[in-house]
Amino acid sequence: MKEISPEATSDVKSVDAVELLSRKFPGSIKPDDRKGYEGIVVDSSKLPEVATAIRDELGFDLLANLSYVDYPEEGVFEVVYNAYNTAVGGKGLTFRVRTSRDEAEIPSLIGVWPGVDFQEREAWDLMGIRFSGHPDLRRILLWEGFAGHPMRKDWREPFYEEDNKPYGTRWPEGQVQRAEMKTPYGMNVQYPGGFKLEGWEPEGEEALYAGLGTPLGIGPDIHQIKTDQLIVNLGPQHPSTHGVFRMAVTVDGETITRLKPVFGYLHRNHEQIGERNTWLQNMPFTDRLDYFSSLANNLAYAISVEKMMGQEIPERADLLRVLMVELTRIQNHYSAIGFLLNDLGAFFTPVLYALTERELILDLFEATTGSRMMCNYMRFGGLAYDLPSYIGGPAIKEGDRERELDTMKFIKGLVYERLPRATDMLDRYLTNNEVLVNRLKGVGVLPGDRAIAYSATGPVLRASGVPYDLRRADPYSIYNEFDFDVAVRYNGDSYDRYLIRLDEVRQSLRILEQVVPRLEETEGQEYMGGKRSYNHRVPAGDHYGHAENPKGELGFHLVSDGGGNPYRYHVRSPSFINLTALEEMCVGHKVADIIVILGSIDIVLGEVDR
Amino acid sequence: MEDLFIIIYNWLVSLLSGWGVGPVLVDIILGVLGSVLIVAYLLTLALFIIWVERKLVARIQDRIGPNRVGPWGLFQNIADVLKLLTKEIIIPDGADLVPFMLAPMIAVASVFMIWAALPFTRNAVGTNVSIGVLYIVAVSSLSIMAVLMAGWSSNNKYALLGAFRGVAMLVSYEVPMILTLLVPVFLTGSMRVNEIVGAQTIWYVIAMPIAAVIFYIANHAEAGRSPFDMLEAESEIVAGFHIEYSGMAFAMFYLAEFLHAFTISALTATLFFGGWRGPFVEQVPTLGIIYFFIKTFAIYLFNVWARGTLVRLRIDQIMSFCWKFLVPIALILLVLSMLVDKIATGIIPNYLDTTLLGMLPRTGILLLVNLVVGALAFGWIARTGRRERERLESRQIAPVERPAAGQQAK
Repeated sequence: MKEISPEATSDVKSVDAVELLSRKFPGSIKPDDRKGYEGIVVDSSKLPEVATAIRDELGFDLLANLSYVDYPEEGVFEVVYNAYNTAVGGKGLTFRVRTSRDEAEIPSLIGVWPGVDFQEREAWDLMGIRFSGHPDLRRILLWEGFAGHPMRKDWREPFYEEDNKPYGTRWPEGQVQRAEMKTPYGMNVQYPGGFKLEGWEPEGEEALYAGLGTPLGIGPDIHQIKTDQLIVNLGPQHPSTHGVFRMAVTVDGETITRLKPVFGYLHRNHEQIGERNTWLQNMPFTDRLDYFSSLANNLAYAISVEKMMGQEIPERADLLRVLMVELTRIQNHYSAIGFLLNDLGAFFTPVLYALTERELILDLFEATTGSRMMCNYMRFGGLAYDLPSYIGGPAIKEGDRERELDTMKFIKGLVYERLPRATDMLDRYLTNNEVLVNRLKGVGVLPGDRAIAYSATGPVLRASGVPYDLRRADPYSIYNEFDFDVAVRYNGDSYDRYLIRLDEVRQSLRILEQVVPRLEETEGQEYMGGKRSYNHRVPAGDHYGHAENPKGELGFHLVSDGGGNPYRYHVRSPSFINLTALEEMCVGHKVADIIVILGSIDIVLGEVDR
Repeated sequence: MEDLFIIIYNWLVSLLSGWGVGPVLVDIILGVLGSVLIVAYLLTLALFIIWVERKLVARIQDRIGPNRVGPWGLFQNIADVLKLLTKEIIIPDGADLVPFMLAPMIAVASVFMIWAALPFTRNAVGTNVSIGVLYIVAVSSLSIMAVLMAGWSSNNKYALLGAFRGVAMLVSYEVPMILTLLVPVFLTGSMRVNEIVGAQTIWYVIAMPIAAVIFYIANHAEAGRSPFDMLEAESEIVAGFHIEYSGMAFAMFYLAEFLHAFTISALTATLFFGGWRGPFVEQVPTLGIIYFFIKTFAIYLFNVWARGTLVRLRIDQIMSFCWKFLVPIALILLVLSMLVDKIATGIIPNYLDTTLLGMLPRTGILLLVNLVVGALAFGWIARTGRRERERLESRQIAPVERPAAGQQAK
């Protein structure tokens, strides 16, 4: 384990970056001087060169986010990149590229950062921006029968009512008319011109399988031995893909030669809906991203918007946020470990023991927020509620009365006794199990430099020897007031990705041990800063806010035009981007191993598909 | 006291003869009656075994398990069977119908056929054939054919992958299984299963513990149970060879799996744990059936325990465990103990005596051989394991070179 002290993190000022880059690329770089915007604007013809310089010379080696914004008045699409420095942490560098709406095409950065693969495909899919040089620019979240690119501001869905919520009344005359009357069955969808639903053959499939035909050159050489290869679709209906996720795999016997993930089965155009919503309406909507850790999603969104609003947060609110988020991290890692063991073939035993502990944490969430999973707890400036005075629980034995436990006693019991013991129990029974070690060690190795190149974050990145944790690297909330280490493991294999989750649980418990006494001190203090309001106005500007979620870096790229609704609401979801490295990790391993590798990445499809 | 089974048998013979049935026909009628009895008994037992397994695994997992239907959930499986009976057997497009429908039948039949040669008591044995052990090997291999037929005829890639794995694994594990199956045969000097049991005044597991363990592990793999449940690995290839089966066709595979697991326990109990032998079995032979099932259930518990706790092995690990460890050990053990046994026969008088005291020298000598081979084997596997671990660790990557904290990365 290695520690980065908060003082040591320093950042390359974007002013320096502009100076250095404009000396190198005269005429192609200019600072973004719009009010509320930061970073630099890069000429699209020079983009790959500038990106290489940003990566190699400025040291911003992790491309955390690729976002895209439509400005129809100016007639441009803007692609926004956020790069960060994994070595020293600190603020990142934002650079943008603009392209005309009619001929939207910019060079792909896949040669500089392979991690943009899926993100560029997403930008093509949802916004219709071509990335020249991308080898596999297919739709990623939507299907071929989808008309248009839904993130464009001029895109209208079949049931279109108004641009922004709150909508006016649907029946101004008071005459209630059901929507089904207006749009008969089958008319509520749009297809692209010339698209015939009858006899439709998924053309994307052909491209997908064609892409699988060429071996990567990693793993055994299939040309030496004359064997047949088999294309197997693992998923979308499969017990171990953690949701509706599909991996198209070429296997040679049992060995994987190519793998392509296919997703979007759960796609609901989260971002488009988010742009219709008001700022606060998106808070419960973030719960649905990574539904295992809704409170952590809440925090990431809250800090991003608060940063734009310049909102102050009272101490108790911050403490409660840290309490909730760290408990979320613990329960997420417990279930991740449990389900990983399930993927390994254990017959539900470890996962049931892990879920037992998770249930206790969810009891607290339920008592505090009113919901076990869809918590919707945080507000801009604080929280929705304080801790309740007691926690009701189900009767344990027959004839028992309902339990009523003092909340602080319950939390203390969890933090000081129950959870450390449970962590040690998992550690004792699993870590040294011979079969488990043999199944996990050396499987799915992702070296540190490749992990950074693939924009992997969270436990996946840290298990590869890169101690990059946003709680330390770019501190938010009050994490810099707590004493904890950034867990790091160096081998980058599935075993380390398993171990690092135990490490992180221990570090989270360490933070919680410091939170609990301060919670007692601040008992009864204000937990909401500013005034409570349904409709917030956020100053015009552009901001990329991010937080260390259990699964990786959850980022929100938000653009405000000063109104009550986000102009742009982009989610950088860790599960989605961590999957980019899946193929490289899997090739050369056995079928049984891909399941394990996927389990060790720990994805949630609510977040992947958005 | 006479054996209850003999009394019933004699009564039936006299009854049928009294009706004027010819002796050949009596034999045929009684044979059919016997097999129907055994199968019906096993089918009923299977429901109970599945209940036991579900309850036990539930306890391992800190749950209660089935407890709604009947007392302690005993009738849960009957409800399940009724549900499966009402379900349609869906035959996928492009399935090869004949092998597709034959496969579940063969799977179940191959398990039932083993029981024909297992003695429940001294006298109650389906057919006391002179090549009993050979017969058991032959019919238990039939289950491989069922896997292959199901996997191939389903027209499904998961099923095919499951069948690939199945054939590779099952054929491999036949080898150590047969090698260790020879141990009781050469100790007894007969392939007749009942004679093997009869000769075990001291259980063979005491004389040949390593052989018994290898036999049990190999059989465990043959039954496709955790941690060797490759062919139906739920988390990998969904259900493997029986993915396309539904309704009663699926139920038959399910039944075959559980019964196979129980049957291997019965086999181990018969060949190494003295089958129906136990206190007072000489005076009251009917007690034998109770002893036999107590032993079988005791061994079956290990099976359930493994299922509840262990993680699945990968196909290459399973194969190398078989070929690089079990087969050589079994081979060395077999040859060495036969050699020592043969030499000792010439030296020690009354060496082949089967009384309790008379068996002691032979048991002691063979136990010694076993312990030596076992110690060597464990030393060897520990060393190879360590070397394998070192190989994996040497493949591990060095930490990424990073600038020291605080240094500007420019």
